[in-house]
Amino acid sequence: MNATAGACWHCGEPLPAEPLMAEVGGVPRPVCCHGCRAAAEWIEGLGLGDYYRLRSAPATRPAEDSKAGTWARSELARHAVRRLPDGRSEVGLLVEGMRCSACVWLIERSLDQLPGVDKVQVNATAQRARVVFDAERTTLPEVLVALERVGYRPQPLDATALDDARRRESRAALKGLLVAGFGAMQAMMYATALYLGAFEEAGPATRDLFRWLGLLVATPVVFYAARPFFAGARRTLAARRLGMDVPVALAIALIYAASMIETLRGGSEVYFDSVSMFVFLLLLGRYLEMRARHHAANLSDALARLTPAFADRIRADGSLERIAAAELQAGDRVHVTEGGIVPADGRLEGAHCSVDESLLTGESLAVRRQRGELLVAGSLLVQGPAELRVERVGADTALAGIVALVTRAQTERPRLAQAGERAAARFVARVLALAALTAIAWSFIDPARAFAAMLAVLVVSCPCAFALAVPAALTRALGILAQRGVLVAHADAIEQLAEATHVVFDKTGTLTQPEPGLEQVEVADGLERLQGLELAVSLARGSSHPVARAIAAALPDAVLPAASALQVTAGEGVAGIVDGRRLRLGRASFALAGRPIPPGLESATVLADEARPLAAFRLAERLRPGARELLAELADEGLGIEILSGDAPARVAAVAARLGIGHWHAGQRPADKLARLQALRAQGARVMAVGDGINDAPVLAGADVAVALASGTELAQASSDIVLVGNHLDALGAARRLALQAMAVLRQNQRWSLAYNLTAMPFAALGFVPPWLAALGMSLSSLVVILNALRIGRTPDHAAGLPMATAAGARA
Amino acid sequence: MNILVVMIPISIVLLIGAGIAFFWAVDHDQFDDMDTPRLLPLEDLPADPPGEPAEPGPAP
Repeated sequence: MNATAGACWHCGEPLPAEPLMAEVGGVPRPVCCHGCRAAAEWIEGLGLGDYYRLRSAPATRPAEDSKAGTWARSELARHAVRRLPDGRSEVGLLVEGMRCSACVWLIERSLDQLPGVDKVQVNATAQRARVVFDAERTTLPEVLVALERVGYRPQPLDATALDDARRRESRAALKGLLVAGFGAMQAMMYATALYLGAFEEAGPATRDLFRWLGLLVATPVVFYAARPFFAGARRTLAARRLGMDVPVALAIALIYAASMIETLRGGSEVYFDSVSMFVFLLLLGRYLEMRARHHAANLSDALARLTPAFADRIRADGSLERIAAAELQAGDRVHVTEGGIVPADGRLEGAHCSVDESLLTGESLAVRRQRGELLVAGSLLVQGPAELRVERVGADTALAGIVALVTRAQTERPRLAQAGERAAARFVARVLALAALTAIAWSFIDPARAFAAMLAVLVVSCPCAFALAVPAALTRALGILAQRGVLVAHADAIEQLAEATHVVFDKTGTLTQPEPGLEQVEVADGLERLQGLELAVSLARGSSHPVARAIAAALPDAVLPAASALQVTAGEGVAGIVDGRRLRLGRASFALAGRPIPPGLESATVLADEARPLAAFRLAERLRPGARELLAELADEGLGIEILSGDAPARVAAVAARLGIGHWHAGQRPADKLARLQALRAQGARVMAVGDGINDAPVLAGADVAVALASGTELAQASSDIVLVGNHLDALGAARRLALQAMAVLRQNQRWSLAYNLTAMPFAALGFVPPWLAALGMSLSSLVVILNALRIGRTPDHAAGLPMATAAGARA
Repeated sequence: MNILVVMIPISIVLLIGAGIAFFWAVDHDQFDDMDTPRLLPLEDLPADPPGEPAEPGPAP
């Protein structure tokens, strides 16, 4: 039983002095709270006790208060539950607390036990679940309660969520790609038989049969799979522009129509294989690009969970009614309970309260707000309750502004892909002109060959390789980076990352860990170092203050007697009884309870009993793992490195010295940081900014490429192009190497496809290229581009990979 | 060459069959999530009965 070493069997958090016991698999296990006991016993009761063997990360502690009942109100459920055509209901849930694939197992199994649940789909990466159920036999609150019982926090998503549009787009693209792929394969097979002249002796009847077969398989490709090109062409023409789609659609229509005419009149050449492959390769490029875009959009899902779904509106008679946050209007009065989340921006009407705005500011200490001050939607009420008058709701809140910004940035197509497409469009327009010229020239020389030569020009110079060059390289790079814990929100960031010349770092939370580490332990005479530390850890486990956490983290797994009679004095320290001794841990003045403070202990954290100080603890900033390696690598490559910190000069200098950085600026306010950044950019530098806090957001937004840490604030992440998931900074160095390689491959691809087309076109125009050679050239050039893109991340230098550190609290 | 008269219709029927199967799969959510399902077979119902001493709880 003590195998769990003082941690809750269910959620892994430290145990209180007298832990509760839960029966799991017939063995009593210690748990930290009633919620965890209920969850563990519920899981056991469902026969799902194996979860504890399968999981690779501890569960989350179940929420004490359930919001599930509120969803019983039909007008709320209407937002979340969608009726399927067959009468069943469907709901999309954002499930917080999903940590490993065993969670997927547990969620699926526990929902399957409910009567009337037909289908459960869980996506661990997006933290989403989709549940199809029979509304007659079970209800939304029952589904939510089932998830809450096993310790997850489900939140129904708006039924009209973006997810659906994405799903439809991705399905349509897949189907088109498949039709084009199958069609191209078959058309190629029939065409090969024609090319090889297998029917010379069988006569023109067999040849014509195979041409008709080609027509048969190419028709769905042109009329079904190629629809996006025709639709796009119509759209751009309606807008009086000439995009990529117009020449592509024109080429497809021309080649198809020409081949059909040739088939009907028994002419010389048909190109059904080329037109199918043409469509297939272009669709493949688009599909890859769409995947990259959707992948980035998954990042913004994290923001959806920040807004509360409900609000308690105060009626005129003072009573409360629970309504959907979406129903709130400016001027409403809202009641927020302690521990609740503020549903809309509003002015405080009660006396005062404390809110945790860490979501927006990164400052984890609660802020005190007075009557008339503004509370921001999404902040957590630490001390309350509070009444506020709503000023801004829904899309006008500060939080919604951030979400909108992020969403907009992520639906934009990558600039690189746009540039690639524009280049391809120009190229195709020129090809069309050249094809027309060829036709005119040949009609003077030998009118019989004019049509064939023009088609050969169109086919051989297909922009497939062009269209694939950029998306193939970008998709490959994004995929490899995501595997290594580097999430890229904008595909353009890869280019910027490769081209950065200067890097500016924030200090606190970026180069150093957000929480201090225990640097030094001094003990009084007659006491072992470990003894002093153990006593302090026993006390410190009772407090969640950063200093206490740092001390507790020094002996994370030790089995220690728990402190009893714990008393936490906010901002001062913690007192309690350990092994019968009355101890105090905290600021020197608190620990010594008014007795004179010995010299040298003023700034330390002191552990004292009733007679004398026992030990003193000094904390220092710990460097983030990988910071040293990253800076050494960047310096080697000749990048300019600077620290811009809001901290005091002495502390910035100390960190800069440890990392060997020459340039640093201390005491910088956000505006100073931005000014410094703009000065650098004015000198022509391409600046990469790395930060984590609210005060870094302007710098991050203003930099050429911004990198945020996943442990940082949402605002910082929202302003960034790249988010580092792990705790290790050197992932950034690896990401930069990969970006350099990706850009090199991308340029190779573009040069190669241009060179191929320029070489092949004159031959086609002169009539030297038969259809089989044109088809071969088209597919080989595209294949080269894709294979080249697959080289990204393959070389030994990059293959080493990075440990994906997901643990939030790495040890010093 | 007469064999072609049999082979070609067969190839077309197979093609259409494969297309229908794929469309069905796309419409029945088989391609929506390419990340989670690959994890599940590794961790599904173990053969040995639950209840034997499990490994210690993982560190937080």
